[in-house]
Amino acid sequence: MPTLENDCLVFRFPHHEADGRFVIRFQRTLRIPDSYKTYDLPPGLGSFPLRHVEDYAGRLPAQTTDRGGVILPMWQAEAMWLLFNNHGIDSGLCFPVAIKVAAGKINAVTGEGWRTGLHRGPQDYMVSPDQPWLDGFAIEKGVIRQFVAMPLGDGYSVEEQLSGEAEWGGLQISVVPLKAEVWQAKRRAWAEEMRGRGRGRHPYEDSSRSYLQSISQPHRLRSSSMGLAAGGRMRQSIYPDLYNIEDWDIAAADRVFISLLHAKDWKSITGEAAPNEPPTAKAYSDAGLPWFEYYGKDQAALPGSTKLAGVKSVADLFKKETGATLPNSQDVETGTPLHIGPGANAPRPVRSEGSWYN
Amino acid sequence: MMGLGRQTGPGPTYLTDNQMLRIVVYIGNKQQPKYDEAFGENIRKLRERRLENAPAFSLRQVANRCGVTPAYLSRVERGEVAPPGEETLIKLAHDLGEDPDVMLAQAGKISADLRSAILARPQLFAELIRAIKTMPDSAVLRIVREVRDGNW
Repeated sequence: MPTLENDCLVFRFPHHEADGRFVIRFQRTLRIPDSYKTYDLPPGLGSFPLRHVEDYAGRLPAQTTDRGGVILPMWQAEAMWLLFNNHGIDSGLCFPVAIKVAAGKINAVTGEGWRTGLHRGPQDYMVSPDQPWLDGFAIEKGVIRQFVAMPLGDGYSVEEQLSGEAEWGGLQISVVPLKAEVWQAKRRAWAEEMRGRGRGRHPYEDSSRSYLQSISQPHRLRSSSMGLAAGGRMRQSIYPDLYNIEDWDIAAADRVFISLLHAKDWKSITGEAAPNEPPTAKAYSDAGLPWFEYYGKDQAALPGSTKLAGVKSVADLFKKETGATLPNSQDVETGTPLHIGPGANAPRPVRSEGSWYN
Repeated sequence: MMGLGRQTGPGPTYLTDNQMLRIVVYIGNKQQPKYDEAFGENIRKLRERRLENAPAFSLRQVANRCGVTPAYLSRVERGEVAPPGEETLIKLAHDLGEDPDVMLAQAGKISADLRSAILARPQLFAELIRAIKTMPDSAVLRIVREVRDGNW
């Protein structure tokens, strides 16, 4: 069962690997211009707050509490990316997991409806640590459309465009570990290699890490549910699974429903202030702040989904419905991106205390 | 009798408090106390392990990303100074791929949010920690709240 720790979803599979953890952080970011231009990676501007649904059950719609999971506040002016972190027994041996991500129960990699299990042809999941993050819907080889929030029911979400319904909204995530025997074989091979290199046993190899309303009649608020729509184009590859499909332990999968709430409702539901609205892409670029380009290890990339390629972006739909140009969709100059990733030897910066982008 | 270090007027020259403090610090520095060698060594090992595969984990680059000078980070790694403050430790943890709570604990600190939670109910938390300190990890993990799955 996943846990919620410091605004992160943490997945553990102690029967497979006592020291293994997989952590998903939901990163806030700016909306890249929704145009024909393909942008580099924007920064992380801090984590979205996550809260247990049942803590606010009396203030949320019944269907939200029935789905369980967590709630997350999102402004319409912002976008989201998912940061994946594997923690294993060593920095050189992470505990791999397969991750399936859907928005409104539409698979973000294939554009198909939600199905349990993992599938190939087309591959409907990603593998971490090979996949460091996901910023949107995979529309072409090496290109995604950014995850941006739109009110559910307005017709913009990918769910509404592909299923014709505005039923689910939010994000759905399933995480699958390797089968115990496959992992143990991988771990033994790694230990042999380390011994061969003279590293001996890693000091952490055997260590165990423990990680540690005030109204008289609560009323349910008519909170605005949000769905994820397709924003601007961004360079990002989805990498193929190099394991065999039968290596994954489908029976041990964990899943979480993340309900997206409009940030304007966050305080009335949780009592906490919502995060500030993020800067626009123009303001960010005008400030001379960097964009990023991922350098992988010459990995192949999946081709992208033809279904998702046919989805209209928010700017296209806005233009069609109103005849006007979507605000803040004008292209911006981003300069030369900073190179990050294993091929460039630098991590993608995310905001920590005090600083905007490091 | 005039107290040591207090100049109240003309007469014998006594050391001021500030001068005394500087001497104490000087003597202390001469003795080069090792604040926390295990913590510093762990930081160095984490960084050097990453450096094997990525030049971005040089002392200088890690220090720059964490907002400290390379000289200071070097002294931390050698255990010559006390572990950095919470903000720097959290940056270090993120940069080196370590859990921030673990790194804070290794530095003998707890995060501000945990501190305020404990201070709000100190007796309760003291009892809780004593009660769980000998529990196996699996039992502790059951206390950390799991995310409930529902119907979807």
